[in-house]
Amino acid sequence: MRNLITLFLPVFLFSQTGYDIAKLVDERKTPKDMIVDLTMVLTNKKGKTRSSVLHSVSKDGGNKQMIWFLSPKDDKGVAFLKIEHTGKDDEMRLWLPAFKKVRRIASKQKGDSFMGSDLSYEDMTNRELDEYFYKLLGQEEIQNQDCYILESIPKPEVKSTYSRHVTWVTKKDYNIVKEESYDRTGRLFKTKLFKQQNIKNYIVLKEIFVENVIKRHSTLLTFDNIEVDTGIEDSQFQEKYLKRLPK
Amino acid sequence: MAHKIKNWFISQSIRHPKQVIIFSILLTVIVGSGVRWVVIDDDIMKMLPEDIPSRVLWDEVQDEFGSIDMMFITFGKRGEFAINREILAALWDVSYALEDLPEIDEVISIATLNRIDSEDGFMMVSDLQPARDLIEKEIQYIANYLERNPSIKTRVISRTGEFTNVVIRPITGVNNNILANRVISVSDKYLTDFEVHFGGQPYITGLLPELIRDDVKMLMPIGLMIMILILLANLRNISAVGMVLSVIFLSGVSMMGFMGWIVHWTGSSRFFFTMVNTSMPIILLTIANSDGVHILTKFLREMRKRKDVKESVNATMNTLMLPIFLTSLTTAAAFSILTTTPIIPMTGYGISISFGIVWAWFLSTTYLPSLIILKKWKTDSKAVTHASFLERVIHRFGRQILQHPRKVLVAGLVIVLIGVFGIFLVKVEINFITFFKPGNPIRESIEFIDKEMTGTLNLVVRTEGNMKNPQTLNDLLAIQKYMETYPEVTTTISIADVVKQMHRVVMDDDPAYEVIPDSAGKVNNLFTLYTMSGDPEDFNALVDYNYRTGVITAMMRTVSTDRIITFVRGVEEYVRENIKGNLNPETTGLLVIMRDFSILLIQSSLTSMIASIFVIFIIAWIFYKSYKWGLLSVIPLTSAIILNFGLMGLFKVHLNHVTAILSSIIIGVGVDFAIHYIAQFRNFSRNGVSKESISREVVDDVGYPILLDAGSNMAFGALIFSTFLPLQYIGGLMVFAMVSCSLGTLTILASLMELLKENLYGE
Repeated sequence: MRNLITLFLPVFLFSQTGYDIAKLVDERKTPKDMIVDLTMVLTNKKGKTRSSVLHSVSKDGGNKQMIWFLSPKDDKGVAFLKIEHTGKDDEMRLWLPAFKKVRRIASKQKGDSFMGSDLSYEDMTNRELDEYFYKLLGQEEIQNQDCYILESIPKPEVKSTYSRHVTWVTKKDYNIVKEESYDRTGRLFKTKLFKQQNIKNYIVLKEIFVENVIKRHSTLLTFDNIEVDTGIEDSQFQEKYLKRLPK
Repeated sequence: MAHKIKNWFISQSIRHPKQVIIFSILLTVIVGSGVRWVVIDDDIMKMLPEDIPSRVLWDEVQDEFGSIDMMFITFGKRGEFAINREILAALWDVSYALEDLPEIDEVISIATLNRIDSEDGFMMVSDLQPARDLIEKEIQYIANYLERNPSIKTRVISRTGEFTNVVIRPITGVNNNILANRVISVSDKYLTDFEVHFGGQPYITGLLPELIRDDVKMLMPIGLMIMILILLANLRNISAVGMVLSVIFLSGVSMMGFMGWIVHWTGSSRFFFTMVNTSMPIILLTIANSDGVHILTKFLREMRKRKDVKESVNATMNTLMLPIFLTSLTTAAAFSILTTTPIIPMTGYGISISFGIVWAWFLSTTYLPSLIILKKWKTDSKAVTHASFLERVIHRFGRQILQHPRKVLVAGLVIVLIGVFGIFLVKVEINFITFFKPGNPIRESIEFIDKEMTGTLNLVVRTEGNMKNPQTLNDLLAIQKYMETYPEVTTTISIADVVKQMHRVVMDDDPAYEVIPDSAGKVNNLFTLYTMSGDPEDFNALVDYNYRTGVITAMMRTVSTDRIITFVRGVEEYVRENIKGNLNPETTGLLVIMRDFSILLIQSSLTSMIASIFVIFIIAWIFYKSYKWGLLSVIPLTSAIILNFGLMGLFKVHLNHVTAILSSIIIGVGVDFAIHYIAQFRNFSRNGVSKESISREVVDDVGYPILLDAGSNMAFGALIFSTFLPLQYIGGLMVFAMVSCSLGTLTILASLMELLKENLYGE
């Protein structure tokens, strides 16, 4: 689950002040593991929607993650397993209940959509601190909170589908409330809005709204029934558990 | 009262010619200054009414699935296999340059297509062409993939393997003229080293209005020159010809200025200058020419008798003021009826031409006589003293006709009856490719793509149902199979094809699984698996967001309108008889709409034609205070219209939105001839010309201007040299229309009035 959180927790290194803020954002406490029910609503430019309910179990900041489709009915039982490895390709598997087959998923292109949503695999992956240049653009009040406006630009050697991100970070507790991501031609590509909540002294996500400005397509992810630090074992993240829907 | 007004008008021209000329020109300049606001609109789609069912369906489908009608670029080098480093690099450049155009939604080519591969049982979606510059191994990889997937290959590689195809999906509602020009410009930039062909309905409809207008612009001066020569040969006076031309020119300027002013004041797109409006100058020219010719020929003959300019002008205008007013009124009223048609630009067309006609009348009754007054006429010039060639012809011709009126009438009616028979043979054809002559570069280009690729025409069948249900998907495949039995259909594609391909890939690329899976769950799993690697929006052109509506796209070679109708009916019938599910198929495409549009245009032309004839009948009835004159005034033009359409049927000239406008010209010209004939008949019968000689006198008097008018208008037969077949036909039919209108008046009407003169004389 950490991926879903770290996506919105880039480490900012822009001048001294910026870096300090970014570091504070990055160093916030994260749960060891997390269990959550996700509702994903996709809306296209004509206002038509598709909804799915997912159940996610994650550990080590999202390095290990399993997701089960609970609805719609036709998708129920489809399950996804991901284990991230340092220095080699991530391991990803998909259980297709109708075919009764587990299929390996090859390493993704970073810009590809995650499960048909407006979040890409790059959005879901940790941003490394040293891979970005940072700049403080100013300050602004947003959602009744005073925020820093920070710009992060990937360094030339970093492969990214974005040319830059502009992020609004609250001054009070270094939460990210909004982010704008620009494509490689400099056009505004995605706008993301976040809502957080406090559970057991952890700041965890409550809602994410992502809009692909170019395609005029949006995704609303709502987090419910959140449990943290449940003590899930590493052995739970195995292919055989994909086939069983958690109770 | 009318008499007083008439005399006042005439006296102004005679007494204050300079002031009248200045006043008329000043007014014309004011009205004509609106020209600067004329908007030329080459977007054919704006002509189409938005409420016809096929347009409604077309809009709905485009709203959901994006643009239906594609544009194509096919390029390559003869003798070289298209999948090579040079072509792929150019393909990459042109594809991405096109994708950057705001008019384009999607470009489908080897450079932009995805490939779906099976990797350890996983469905791997990736770019078919991963980069601009490829090494030999990568090129071979592409070639191998296309070999394994012939249905994809046929869409991107030509039959001989020498050319590759770029399919362009425009954004919905784009102006095809802008699109086509932009695409050509991009292609010119990147594909200079290759043989390039373009095709598709957006391409043709985008370029056609511009090309037609350019062609008319080129041929109009030629027609005008011939017209001047004919007028000069008969009027034998340069100033007289110049006077007629100046009336035509000023009327044209005021008509265009009027259009501009209306656009300026109202912003109404109904008054934009579209492809339909291209015929306006020709129509106005023929009508304005008629007024001038009648006045000048009459004046010269009066001069022959009276030798005095003022007296001659007075006599001319006294005789012609009423008929010219009446012809202008009837023609303007006839064109005003076009405002009731459902075709958007026809409103502006009808009103603007009516305005031009009224202006031509205004100039003919004020400005033209004033010009005549100011000119120093030589009473001993040949133009005054000698009858012209046409005058002598009509003199002899009139005698012949009137010696055997019954025979002439019967012969005329027989010819009209043959015309009636021909009308039933008229065929509606709106296929734009038939607008171009064989050998025309555009037609050759389209025919090349038709022959080498999957065709340049596409129709879409929208179906309803659960697009994840195996039964529905199998039904789609069955419909596709049926569609492919038509020889014109080169290939079809629907979401069912994608499901089949995904199924095969998931089952370790086993060809045995290239079928629709047996359960909805499996179909659903395939779509979910796809979202893990590919963009779900890849299916946007095939299925709606909620998988409740799907489309089958049929790629076709150019076909006739009849064949389209057969195809549409065939598909609907097949589904009704063979498909159990309620798929509710509906076929659409630009060609289907254009067919409906043409039918609508032709229907509305026919309706307005009948209404015009009726209005003319009523006006003539009111003015001449007898229905007999009303009936007689519509006989020549009705005969001419029947003969015109009959001839089209007999000589296989297709009826389309271009040739249909000819009826307007016939009405405009035909009513002029009849009213002039009737007016002079009444005039002579009241002024003591004997019953025995009246018809011959009338033929002598009005026959000459009628023949000269018709003859000079025939100059627009120059359109016969157009690159576009419909314009060629208009050129040919224009000549025929002039012959049929003038002869209809001078034979059928003349012989009929001769036979009925006992009843008509003195009435």
